[in-house]
Parts: sequence; C-alpha cells; structure tokens
Amino acid sequence: MYMWNTSSSSSGTQRTLNSNPQTPTQLDEQDKLLSEALGVVRNQAILMKRNLDKNRLMDGLKCASTMLGELRTSLLSPKSYYELYMAVTDELRFLEVYLCDEFQKGHKITDLYELVQYAGNIVPRLYLLITVGLVYIKSNPATKKSIMKDLVEMCRGVQNPLRGLFLRNYLLTLRNILPDSPPTKDDECGNVHDSIDFILTNFAEMNKLWVRMQHQGHSSEKSRREKEREELKILVGTNLVRLSQLDSVNLEIYQKIILPSILEQVVSCRDAIAQEYLMECIIQVFPDEFHLQTLDPFLKSCAQLQSGVNVKSIIISLIDRLSAYHQRHEKSQPDSTSDASVIPIDVQLFDVFSVQIENIVQIRTDMPLEDTISLQVALVNLAQKVYPDQIDYVDKVLETTTQILENLNMSCINQSLTVNQELSRLLRICIDFYNNILTILNLKYFPKILTKFDYQSRKSLSLYLVMNILDNETLIPTDEHADNVLEMLSPLIKDQEDQPADGPDADDFAEEQGIVGRFIHLLKSEHLDMQYKILQVARKHFGSGGTQRIKYVLPSLVFQAFQLAYKYKAIAAEDENWDKKCQKIIQFCHTTITSIARAELPDLALRLFLQGALCIGKIGQTNYEAVAYDFMTQAFSIYEDEISDSKSQLAAITLIISTVEQMTCFSEENAEPLRTNCALAASKLLKKADQCRGVVTCASLFWSGKKDNEEMRDEKRTLECLKKGARIASQCLDINVQVQLYVELLNSYLYYFERGNSQITVSMLNQLITKINEELPNLDKSEETKQIERHFNNTLAHIKSRMESNLEISFAGITI
Amino acid sequence: MATRKKVLLKVIILGDSSVGKTSLMNQYVNKRFSNQYKATIGADFLTKEVVVDDRVVTMQIWDTAGQERFQSLGVAFYRGADCCVLVFDTTAPNTFKNLDSWRDEFLIQASPRNPEHFPFVVLGNKIDLENRSVSTKRAQQWCQSKNDIPYFETSAKEGINVDIAFQTIAKNALAQETEDLDTTSGFPNITLNADNNPRPSNDGCQC
Repeated sequence: MYMWNTSSSSSGTQRTLNSNPQTPTQLDEQDKLLSEALGVVRNQAILMKRNLDKNRLMDGLKCASTMLGELRTSLLSPKSYYELYMAVTDELRFLEVYLCDEFQKGHKITDLYELVQYAGNIVPRLYLLITVGLVYIKSNPATKKSIMKDLVEMCRGVQNPLRGLFLRNYLLTLRNILPDSPPTKDDECGNVHDSIDFILTNFAEMNKLWVRMQHQGHSSEKSRREKEREELKILVGTNLVRLSQLDSVNLEIYQKIILPSILEQVVSCRDAIAQEYLMECIIQVFPDEFHLQTLDPFLKSCAQLQSGVNVKSIIISLIDRLSAYHQRHEKSQPDSTSDASVIPIDVQLFDVFSVQIENIVQIRTDMPLEDTISLQVALVNLAQKVYPDQIDYVDKVLETTTQILENLNMSCINQSLTVNQELSRLLRICIDFYNNILTILNLKYFPKILTKFDYQSRKSLSLYLVMNILDNETLIPTDEHADNVLEMLSPLIKDQEDQPADGPDADDFAEEQGIVGRFIHLLKSEHLDMQYKILQVARKHFGSGGTQRIKYVLPSLVFQAFQLAYKYKAIAAEDENWDKKCQKIIQFCHTTITSIARAELPDLALRLFLQGALCIGKIGQTNYEAVAYDFMTQAFSIYEDEISDSKSQLAAITLIISTVEQMTCFSEENAEPLRTNCALAASKLLKKADQCRGVVTCASLFWSGKKDNEEMRDEKRTLECLKKGARIASQCLDINVQVQLYVELLNSYLYYFERGNSQITVSMLNQLITKINEELPNLDKSEETKQIERHFNNTLAHIKSRMESNLEISFAGITI
Repeated sequence: MATRKKVLLKVIILGDSSVGKTSLMNQYVNKRFSNQYKATIGADFLTKEVVVDDRVVTMQIWDTAGQERFQSLGVAFYRGADCCVLVFDTTAPNTFKNLDSWRDEFLIQASPRNPEHFPFVVLGNKIDLENRSVSTKRAQQWCQSKNDIPYFETSAKEGINVDIAFQTIAKNALAQETEDLDTTSGFPNITLNADNNPRPSNDGCQC
C-alpha cells in the first residue's frame, strides 16, 4: 500500500487548536489565514495537475489530499471558508475531468474508490470519495444507487457544522448524475425516488448540523453565531433547489413525498432561524403550480412554527408570489376571460388563505397585533389582485379585522402605534385600489374600522379619502351616498368628542376646510330632484360644523343651490313643478344664509343675501318680488346691526347700492324705499370721505337703476346726489382728502355729463376744475399728492381728447 | 508549458432576477424550457462539453441568483471565471439599465487580471414576447461603448440564438483561458513540494 496519507495533509493543525475565529480585531488575521490557505491550494493544485499530466495518479491524489487538508481549518469565518472551498473545488474539477478521461480510455482504476479511503484525514478523504464516486457512477451507472447511498451515509463522519455543511454541499454537486426518471420495472440505475431519498437525507443531515451551530460555544457569542448561520443558510437551501430541479417530480410526488418530508423536518427542528429561512426557501424554489395545490399543509405548518418565527412575512411572501404569478399570466394573455385564470377553479385561493390565516392568528397567541393586521393587509392585496371584482372578499377581511379589534376592545388607537400604521395601510390600499368612494361605501366594515382610530388618524384618513375623491373627480350622485360619505368624513365636518382642546394651526385648518369646500361641488346628481335631496343632506351635516367651519363650507352649498335653481328655471317647460321647487330652494338658501349670519359672519351673510336677491330676480318664481325684497331687507338689517367697521361699512353699502341698481324685479313701491334707504345709509356713514363716496355712488341708482325694466335717467335726482357729495366734500377738513374727493367728483360729474345728463352744465365742471387748481398747489409734496395730481391730469387729458373728437355732447367751454 | 488534454472553462451568468438566466442555461445544456418560475438561490452550475476550434472543452456554466438576499455567502464563485454573460429582459428596461452595475460588480469582485479586455457577452432575452421595450439599437450602443461586447438577442423559450450565443461565449472564454495560461506559464518553475511544507504536522483532530 502506498501510504500517501502519512506525512501530508498536515497543514493548519496547530491552528485548529485555536478554535475561536474572527473576533473583530482578527479581521486582518482572517485575510492572512485565508491567503495562506489559498496559497497552499494554488501550489498543490499546480503540482497535482503536473502529476496528472505525467499520469502519476498517486502523486496527483496526494497533492489533492494536501490541498483538501486546508478545508480542515476551524479558523475561518463562513465567508472566508466559502472562498477557500470555491478555490479547492474549482481545482478538484480538474481531477474529475482527468479521471473521467482515464475511464473513457478504458484504464482500469476500479480500486480507486477503495484507495482514496486511505487518506489520513476524514475531510480530504470524503471530498476525494465524492469526486471519485462521481467518476465511478459516470463510468458504470449500475453502481449509482449504492454509491449515492454510501456517500450520503459516509458524510456523517464529519460532524463539525461548518465543515460538514460545505462537504455536503459538495455532495450536492452530484447534480448531473442524479437519476431523474419515473420508476420503471428495471431501473437498476435508480429512478427519481432514489434522488429524492438521497437529497432528503442530505437535507436532514445538513439542517441538523446547521441547527446545532446555534447551541455550540459560549452564550456571549450568540449574535455572531446567528450571523454566521444566516450566511450559511444558502447551503442548506441548496437541497431544496436540487429537489425542485428534478424534472420527474410532479405534483403528486411533491404533494405526497417531498413537501411533507421537508415540512416535517422544518417543524420538528424547533429552530426559529431554520424555520423562517426554509419556509421562505420552499416558497421561492418550487413552482407556483405546486404551491397552489399545497396551500393547506404549508399554511398549517406555519401555525406550528416557533414563537420567534416571523410567520407574517412568510405568508406575505407566499401571497405576493401567487399574486405576481396571477398578474404575470393576466398580462401575457390580456384577452383571456376570468375562466382562463391561472388559478385552478378548484383552488379557492382566497378562502384557503382566509381560513388558514384565521387559524394561525388563533393558535399563535403571541403574535403581535400589528402582524395580525399585516396579514389582513396581505389578504386584501390578494383579493384585489386575483379577484378584483369580488369586493365582498375585501369586506370580509375588514369584518374579520373589526372583530379582532372588538375582541381586544381596541378603540382610539393611537397614531404612534405600529398597529395604527398597519390599520391605516389596510384602509389606504382600499382607497387607492378602487379610486372610487362609491365602491368604498359598499365596504360595510370600512367605516367601522375607521371609528377605531384616534382623532388625528381619523382626520388624516378622512383627508386622504377626500383628496382621493377630488383627484378622481368622483361625483356623489345620491342623497344616500352623500349621507354616508359625509358621515365617514365627519372628523373634517364637525367637532369630535375626542378632539384635543387646543385647535389646529389656523393655516392648516383653512387649507383643510378649503379642500372640503371643493369637495362640496362634487356632491352632484344629474337629476335635479335628487340634487335637491343631496343638498338637504349636506346641509344637515355641514350645519353642525360650528362657526369655524361654516365660513368655508356653507357658501359652497348656497352657490350649489343657486345653480340648481337656475337649472330648474331652464327646464321650466318640462317640469311643471319647477316653480314650487325653486321656492323651496330659495327657502333653503334663506335658512342657510341666516345660519351663516347667526354664526357671526355678517359680511359673508350680507353678500350671500345680495347674491340671492339677484338670483331670485332672474328666476322669477311665484312671489319673487316679495322674496327678493326680503333678501334685500335682510342684507340691510345685517348692514345696520352687525357691520360696525367703517371700511366694511363702505364696502357693504357699495355692494348693496350696486345690487339695487341691477335689480329689475322690483315695482316702484319696493324700489323707492330701497333707493332712499341706500342714500340715507350712505349719508350716515361715519367718515366724511366715506359719506361723500357713498352718496356719489347712490347717483347711479337714479340714473342706471331700473324702473319698469328701464333705466331711470332721473337727471335731477342724480345731480342731487352729486351735489350732496360735493357739499360733504367741502366740509372735509383734511385738505388732501378734500382735493382727492373733488377729483373723484369731477370724474363722476363728467361721467353723467358724457351720458347726457342735461342738468349738469359746463360751468359746474369748470367750477370744480378751478377749485382743484386752486387747492392743488397748497398740498404737501408727498406720494399721495402725486397720485392725486396724476389722477387729475389724466382726467383733464380725457376731457381734452373728448373736446377734440366730435361728440353729440359738446365739451366746449371747459377750461383746462 | 503544461497542456492538459481537456480544457475546463468557467462561465458566470449574471443579471437581475427573472430575466431568464436559469432558463437560458437549461435551454443550452438540456434543451428544455419550462414556464414555471423557480427562483435561484445562491449559485449553481451545469457542465457541457463543447468543441471550439477543434478542441473539446468542458464548459462549466454558473447560474446565479439575481436577488442579492440569496447570496448570503458572497460571490466567491466569480473568481477564476473565463467569461461573464450579462443577461437582461428585453421587455423590462430596468434590467437593461442594471447591466452597468452587474458589470462593475463582476469586475470588482472577480478582479480579473486584465479588466479592460475581460470577455463579456450580453444577452437580451425574451424576444419571443410582444411587449418589447429595449430596442436592439440601444442595446448595441451600450455594448459598443463597453469595448465592443458581443450582443445576442435570445429566447430561452423558443431556443432562438441560444446555441450561437454560447458558442461565442465558449470561444471567448477559451481565448481568455489560453491567455491566462500564457501569462502564468513561467509559474510552475517555482517548485513547491508539499513534503517540504514547513508547517508542523502533528495531527490533533481527524475531521
């Protein structure tokens, strides 16, 4: 016997004694050890190849053995060991090629298998045995079965986890020769079942080694050990890859033999890291077609995993994979009907997951609530992707979720909790998926879940919902829908019981309510009667919003109502009840504006009353004059009772005057008091300047204001207003203001003069011009004065241009 | 110089997940295609004997995981590669964009002797599908810009261009391998003998 094992295969033995690899300070040490080992491998490989080239097999094997001896080290981290392993096995391939060649040439090396067993150390010996075994099988397939069994058993000889795992990984490179044919009567070379047994045995052994790592060494190194195990997982998973690569494995074999064995191993090893990885690995390496038919056993096993296992992500990963499978198929066959789905008809995908997840939630009582909710999110995802039309599936998930929350007595779920985030996600994916609030309304349990949140979350979800409605311009077509939507949005619409005492930031609030205001315009039905009902419902909801909100939302509602009235008017010929309906709408507006007034928003109410009066004038429903008059008097009362700021007063009276000026629906009986009141109110303004301007504005009432649908053209009363204005201006003590008023008056005089008011004479204009010319130089030089001068000069330029053009009205005689 | 009768070539296939790396390898080696999707974890190889320029060579084709999370032990298998095949999906532009980073990653990790001239081959796969979104021209331009990488449009499903692509791969790998051998041919003169290994040999553990 050639004792080629005695003196060699010696490297690294002293190093082996120090079995504490890679503390942080030893990282450089790792590199050093690795490059040393790689150096030995390189040199031995060269020698090996040389010997083989010269057909010195024994010497070649000896070099190979020495090279393999490097794999006996205990000093390398998994990653470094992997590098070494790669280098060694790359070289071993040359030996394999050589031996195969020798066999093909007919050289007898039958005792080789025995011979390599004399290698002194078990690690090199087994690597060589595997290499030689492979060559054997290739040359003599009849030996396949026994050699495979032999090898997988002999590998038990290495019980050090790291070395054992890599050795067995090398065993898995037998891939090419694994028998992969269905069983037949005379399959002495083996059939697929031999391969399955072989791999499953190897898998069980590798998993044991891998799990054992967890329990070796000092407890202070637990985290390092776990990190190393994480790195090594791929070696164990390769067994599953091999199984999935067997072409003769059909669904039946997978269902009856492979999956049960794997699951048995996974569950019984009671190791969280192994379980989590291997379950994920099963999902990834086996095809979707198999998964679809084995959901029950797989998911049942999930329920039995150790408490540290993240079951949630395993299930989500499976759901994601199957949804992607379904979608990939949909995409490649866009014309296919739902019958052609890749999900077999007999597989009730949703039901299976639904039941099994419920089971898992019940059994795994230690699972955090947020994980339970995440699972519901995954279920909704599944339902939406695979069964997009089945919204009852989604609602069922929401129902389950509601029940879970109710069983735990959860309410007011705080924004800072993870559960809150998961629950929000659940609702948001529904909103995003359907992009239609009306579909959301069909989810009965959606609002129920919404009520489980704390105030802030409810509000932000409502805002999310309302933004979705705006983005998609979803119209809310019935009163019932409106009622439900508004109920759902109630955190935006009215004060909530659990609302914090200190209100939100004013800007944020204004923005938020502005959004709600925009939303109101989407409460819209084509059917006018329905539209009216919708407005009533909306009114009920928004009416309880409190002063702060009313300002933003009720005006939208009033304008919606005005529009509706116009629409009824437009179809008056078709709807004989249009008149009654318009009366109702106007009534509705009146009440709504009144409540705005009561909410101490007088400026807003006043404007809406004026707008209402104009609207009524155009609609002309029964009794419209009286109603419009009432709207006007409401505006007047608000003016008199509620508006005290002088600027607001001037603005308000100007609006009132211009409204009265435009109204055509009043008979003289009503019009006259309105005009008089305007004039009176204008003259009672606090500041002289305001009085002057107000009174001058009143002039238009008597000029272009309407009487029997015609402009009044009351020259005398128009002039009276102007004269009164001039008188007030003359009483003004601030000379700057006075001149400014005179310039403005000059413009007003000119306006009516141009329009043919014969009561206004050239001398009146000259008088004013003289007056201004006298006073202007006395003003202090200031920006204000400049403006007045400019205004005056522009006016004169205007007069000049008029004088030059031939007009009916003679501008002659005006002295500029 | 030592000339072995048979040459062993190492080829690495890289690319994003589900571009069809495993399918291409299976089509080439086993002439089989399956629509089933099985993710590859880690790295795995198949071998095939091919004749290149009248020489029989054994090509060892390494299929790799496109998803990084499946490479927990790192990419030591890049080392010693003779050719690197970059695969993208002609219907998924992102997989094309990522070729750059796959190429860079390979050059960094494998650190070949002459990175500028290391042989790559690019395969645009899935041309049997209708929704093509990376044009031939665009792919060719990229390949030209990287030192004229050979480019093939393939369908692992239909077997289109697969053989011819791998023939080129084998040829370029062989050229690389020969070059490597040339540059190291002086090396064996430094004779190292395992028996003279200075390190101690007192075996403690036998495993």
